[in-house]
Amino acid sequence: MKIALLSLALAIAAAPLVRAQGNYEIQVYGADTVPPHSTMVELHSNFTAAGQKNFIGGVAPTNHAEHETIEITQGINDWSEVGFYIFTSEKNGSGVQWVGDHIRPRVRVPERWRWPVGVSLSMEIGYQRALFSADTWTWEIRPIVDKAVGRWYFAVNPALERTWHGPDVDQGLGFAPAVKISYDFTKQVSGGVEYYADYGSLTSIASLHDQQQQIFPAIDLNVSPKWEINFGVGVGPTAATDHWIVKGIIGRRFDWGHRSKP
Amino acid sequence: MGDNKSVPLHPPSSVPLEGAVGLPSRRDFLLRATLAGAASFFAPALHPQPARKPDYSLEITETEWELSPKKRIRVAAYNGQIPGPLLRLTEGRPVTIDITNRLRHEEIVHWHGQWIPPDVDGSMEEGSPMIAPGASTRIRFTPRPFGLHWYHTHITANRDFNRGLYSGEFGVLLVEPRRNPAPWDGEQFLVLRDWEPYFVSSDDGSEMVDYAAASINGRMLGHGEPIRVRPGQRMLFQILNASATQIHWIALPGHRFQVLALDGRPVPTQAPVEFLRLGPAERVSAIVTMNAPGVWVLGEPRASFRNAGMGIVVEYANRTGKPQHPRDAALRWDYRAFADATPATRKPDITVPLVFTSRFQGHGALDRWMINGKSFPDTDPVRLTPGLRHRLQFINRSTDPHPVHLHRHAFELVSLQGTPTSGVMKDVVIVEPDTTTEVDLIANNPGNTLFHCHQQDHMDSGFMALFRYA
Repeated sequence: MKIALLSLALAIAAAPLVRAQGNYEIQVYGADTVPPHSTMVELHSNFTAAGQKNFIGGVAPTNHAEHETIEITQGINDWSEVGFYIFTSEKNGSGVQWVGDHIRPRVRVPERWRWPVGVSLSMEIGYQRALFSADTWTWEIRPIVDKAVGRWYFAVNPALERTWHGPDVDQGLGFAPAVKISYDFTKQVSGGVEYYADYGSLTSIASLHDQQQQIFPAIDLNVSPKWEINFGVGVGPTAATDHWIVKGIIGRRFDWGHRSKP
Repeated sequence: MGDNKSVPLHPPSSVPLEGAVGLPSRRDFLLRATLAGAASFFAPALHPQPARKPDYSLEITETEWELSPKKRIRVAAYNGQIPGPLLRLTEGRPVTIDITNRLRHEEIVHWHGQWIPPDVDGSMEEGSPMIAPGASTRIRFTPRPFGLHWYHTHITANRDFNRGLYSGEFGVLLVEPRRNPAPWDGEQFLVLRDWEPYFVSSDDGSEMVDYAAASINGRMLGHGEPIRVRPGQRMLFQILNASATQIHWIALPGHRFQVLALDGRPVPTQAPVEFLRLGPAERVSAIVTMNAPGVWVLGEPRASFRNAGMGIVVEYANRTGKPQHPRDAALRWDYRAFADATPATRKPDITVPLVFTSRFQGHGALDRWMINGKSFPDTDPVRLTPGLRHRLQFINRSTDPHPVHLHRHAFELVSLQGTPTSGVMKDVVIVEPDTTTEVDLIANNPGNTLFHCHQQDHMDSGFMALFRYA
């Protein structure tokens, strides 16, 4: 019995170690960058319907928390952009809380290089308050590969994470891949599956029990080139994962300055 | 018309039909087999192999071409040069041209803008025979009408960027009138071209073709010889957009273009304009009075295209310095600027609505294009009655502009977006998105006639129809 309790305690304690991604921006990146002279403003709204109910290591529970993230991305040229995030959390009794900010420069292989797949590389650096993440300063490098073939779309983001300040500093590089497969039912409606994981340290992969695994059936609405709309409901089957999350993304692209006629 | 002939010099012993040019359906296969069989059966018998030298010879070969010292491409081209050799013909004087296909797939050469019979027009859909790999063909036709035209391959490319209009198979065909007053001091040909195509996601959700490089006369901006001029010269610029898919704008800072002809046909009003807009396959003949000494870039006012290479330096005598490029501001183009001052109104005998729509095939695919709800080869043929005035209504219900082309005829623009016009004769017209353009066609050149969007990706995706004479 003691051994079982000890195992449970260790599992609970280990959970935050592999929860670096957080439920603030749940998105599999495509290789495209925002065009120059354009700004993309996105609102990520994520509600944890069934999540962590207790404080663990000083980190607030996620259960029934509403996370609102504002992402502003400015296109620099046809192969780079810079994104900026403002993370917030809202929960009964604690009101709206500022969680932290990230900055995310990204470069891509220009389409004119004519690679058979889309490839880009983003780097995200930021701070989040200890109340919401034990690791307060983190860095992520995210390779992105995608491809559209007919009505099918594939994207993979094998992200690597590093904690600069917090209990996971000694963990080294963490591996947090994300994958998306979708199908264009119509020009406006695509549906598919998004998978998010955090396997823990790259040099010491966590046990399945302690890994974060989330699967989101999701739809994308392509109503206009200026709008981005994504909606999904995610299930986390492992103990280290919030069990039910509802996520939505709505984005609007603003084009600035003169644009050439066709 | 009796001199128009198509004679294979060395008819192939077997004609490879299946899969050669990307026409996969059974119907296509049967059509092509019938046409090729008929051509190889009749042609040698009717036209025994002639011995005399042709007026021109074209050899289609793979060639390595230097767009700039840093940009070399390998493409199929005519006689190993880009653009192909300038063919300077005289209206009404028969011409003989030998064509040899050194490629490993069938080829065909279309004489764009010429009112010649379908068997020599260079379109397999009309019945012109293909040229088998390694084979030679002798073409004979009587050029008409005069003006700036061109010749180019007319095969299907689909997703193969080595074929069709994505290749280097194009050249200028200038048909001179029998009497040519030539009120200009110099003549300069400019052939616009985009290179290194690739598929990108378009704003409207489907794939489209974009390019990594561009050139005028086969050279990227800053490479190749500048156009050297003297103050006071009147230069005739003969401009052809040979791009597979791109519409281009052209400007020369400090100068204006006095437009003499569109698609080789003289215009009623020779209006001076600051910008020229040319859809794929469109031609503009315009005089520029060289009255702004300096060093200039004649080319795309849009920086992205100019940076890709779409420009050529114009250098006045005894002038040096950094070439000044045109600015991308207030681009304006209206065919009506060159039309009759007062539009003539003529009643058509027959009205033919042609509705352009597309069907989504996936964000990773090209749209399927349709005319009146059907894609080629299933499009309904349009019946033409000889001698009658047919009003063709191009109703574009898509978000793309379409440079539509009618083979072997010219048509008159009679209505653009609801505004009447007259007097401008063309064989290509850009139909703007979600608008209607009306043209009048006098059916006066019997035989199968192909109508299609001149964007290679659109014609490959079904945007074609055959016009048949009753």
